[in-house]
This record gives sequence, C-alpha cells and structure tokens, in this order.
Amino acid sequence: MTQGIVTPLSQALAEGKLTRDELKSLMQRSDRPALRHLALWLLVLTGTTMLVTLAWNSWLIWPAMFLHGIVLVHHFSLQHECVHYTVFRTRKLNNILGQICGLIIVLPHRFFRDEHCDHHTYTQLPGEDPERIPLPQTYGQYLLYLSAIPYWKAKFTEIARHAMGQFSDVEERFIPKEEQASVCRDARIMLAIYALIFVGMAVTGWWGLIWYWVIPLFLGEPVMRFIRMTEHVGRPTVAQMSDNTRTNLVSAPWRFLCWNMNYHAEHHYVPLTPFHALPRLHEKLKDDIHVEPRGYLGAHIDILSQIHGARS
Amino acid sequence: MSDTPWRDLIAVDELETDWVTRVEVGRRTIAVYDTPTGIYASLALCTHGGADLCDGYFDDHVIECPLHQGAFDVRNGKPIAAPATRAMKVLEVRVRDGKVQVRI
Repeated sequence: MTQGIVTPLSQALAEGKLTRDELKSLMQRSDRPALRHLALWLLVLTGTTMLVTLAWNSWLIWPAMFLHGIVLVHHFSLQHECVHYTVFRTRKLNNILGQICGLIIVLPHRFFRDEHCDHHTYTQLPGEDPERIPLPQTYGQYLLYLSAIPYWKAKFTEIARHAMGQFSDVEERFIPKEEQASVCRDARIMLAIYALIFVGMAVTGWWGLIWYWVIPLFLGEPVMRFIRMTEHVGRPTVAQMSDNTRTNLVSAPWRFLCWNMNYHAEHHYVPLTPFHALPRLHEKLKDDIHVEPRGYLGAHIDILSQIHGARS
Repeated sequence: MSDTPWRDLIAVDELETDWVTRVEVGRRTIAVYDTPTGIYASLALCTHGGADLCDGYFDDHVIECPLHQGAFDVRNGKPIAAPATRAMKVLEVRVRDGKVQVRI
C-alpha cells in the first residue's frame, strides 16, 4: 500500500479547503490556553459548589444541584479533549486529567479513547459507529433518551462487564488485544475507588458527596444527553463528514463549558485541532459543513421535526 | 550493514523545520522528521488504520496519527500510544552534500 486511506482531513487538503501551512498552524499545542481555561473552570465549579452549600436547608438545593450538575457533566467535554491529546501539549497531562474527568463522570478514560477512535472512523454509520445515537422514532423514545436512564444503564453494565473481563463483539473490534487487560484493570480500579468513597462516607457519617457529586451528576446528565444529540442525530447516516455532523453556534458560556466542541464538524475534519483553535478552523470550513445557526435548540427543533415527519 | 544503496530524498533546506515533511519516492510515501536530535524517516502510513502520518501532529520525537492519535517514536518506530500497537517502519538516514538520503 502506498497511499494513505482517505480521511476527512486528507480530503480537505486535497480539495484545497485547507493548506498544509494552515493545518500546521491550527494543530499547534500549548499548555497555556488550557491552564487559563482550567483556572476559570475551577472558579465556576467552586461557584456552583458554593450555591449547593448556600441552599443546603431549603428547596433551592435542587436547582442549585442541577446547575452544579450541568458543570459536572461537562467534564465529558474536557475528557473528550484529553482523549485527543489536545488540551495540553504535554501528553501525560492529558492522560492524567482525562482519568480524573472519567472518575467524576463514570467513564473509564482508556476505554472511552478506544471507543472514540471507532466513532471517528465510522462516524454515524449504523452498525459501525459505537457511539452512534439513532434518531428516535417516537417522542417517547426521544424523552427516554433525554432522561439518561438508558445511558446510565448501558454505562454501569459496561463497567461491570469490563471489570469481569468480558467484552462485546463490537468492543473486541475496537479495543486492541494488547489493551484489553488494561481496560479490565481500569474498570476494577474505578469500581474500587467508588467503593472506597462510599465506605469512607459510611464510616465518617458525612454523606456530602451524595449532594455535591452523585445527585448533581444524575440531575445534569440529561443536559449532556441533550447536547450529545445535537452532534449527529438527525444528520444523514453517510460517511461524508460535511453531511453527517452538525456544528452548533452557541453562546460563549456554552462554548466555555463544552471546550468549543459545538464546532463538532470542524473537530471531525481535523481531530488534532486543539479546542482553542476550533473557532479559527470554523472560519476556514464553515461554508463546507452543516452549521446550525440556532444552536442546540435549533438542532432539537430539527430532530423533533424529523420525528414528527416520520410519524405523519 | 545493509547492501541497499543510499538514495537521495530531499534537500535538508527543503525540510519543514521541527515538523514532518512528505516525500514521494516512486510509489512510496516517506515521512521525514526534523527533530531536536537530527533527521529521521519512516514509511508514511500509520500501522493502525493506514492514515498518512505526514498530515499528523509532530512534536519533539513523536508523530501522532491524524485519524486516531496513535503515536510513534520516530527514532525507533515504536508505538507509544494506542490504538497504535505495531511499530512503524523506520528507515536508515544520513545527510550527504546537503541532501537527506535513505536506504530503501
């Protein structure tokens, strides 16, 4: 074989949408933007934690936990960026931070990385893309997905299976043989840490993490499901990256929380682009990709209208 | 020592500084790396998914695949990050008269 496979990136280069110099400039990594973003991230996290504390003895703790949960579930976006090694220039820092994020949102980092590779190879292809969220056929299925109940069920089952060293046929395909023992070990370590935390709470009698972490995480996850749906659901199930992925134009606070992952089509074109360079890449590619100018809500209007159309 | 003759690849001046440069040799594509400790070269295709490493991210001695971020040490071809698990083929390199030469 003498020619590489055609990737969205090689296609963009061949079609002149990007030059090699532009690509090189877009891919440059630096620890500094991530450290700035993380500092603000910790401030926001401290703020929402304080809100939960201040609302402790009133009903307001529920909206406070919901708000806190929205921030917590966005550790997914940060972990996703770490999976691509594009948060920090220092590779190890990406792995360390990714593991921490994974622990917060119950998503083992190594497994996510392996799975996500296949998502990039087979984006939106039925039966191939392991992260594909099918277009719901009914409003009931739509709401059920948004409840995050199927998501948590799948996640807990997945971790339990991996801890027992069991992998599905699809997982056997995308987890390299050499990594399977490590994926199994990661799941066991994660479960052991959770067990230790709960034993610690039982022994000390301080159940604060239930209110600062567990309940907010479950309250916030539907928001992450709402956002994850906007990336591909309702887009054509074809290999063409300009069609199968949706970029959503959202306001600055959402861009901050999702580490610019709303520029999702751009990310799929050049997965090596760090989060801070995605707006620049958007300017280069915006005429060649599918852009939803109404943001997340617009994407859901599109999804709901497709469900409505299919039913009538 | 290999009997394979040395072959001119590219002028040193034409290499992208601190980056990877693509060179076509017949039907083969070679990735040439300008690193802090000298020039290295490998076949350009990732051993995992077959993507062109010349479109990847290069830093220090590590080339990262543009598709899945599997990574290799360009000095010896060893995979240093999954999903890459098989070494890439590195080539013997020398510089003569301002030209990068490889045995291929």
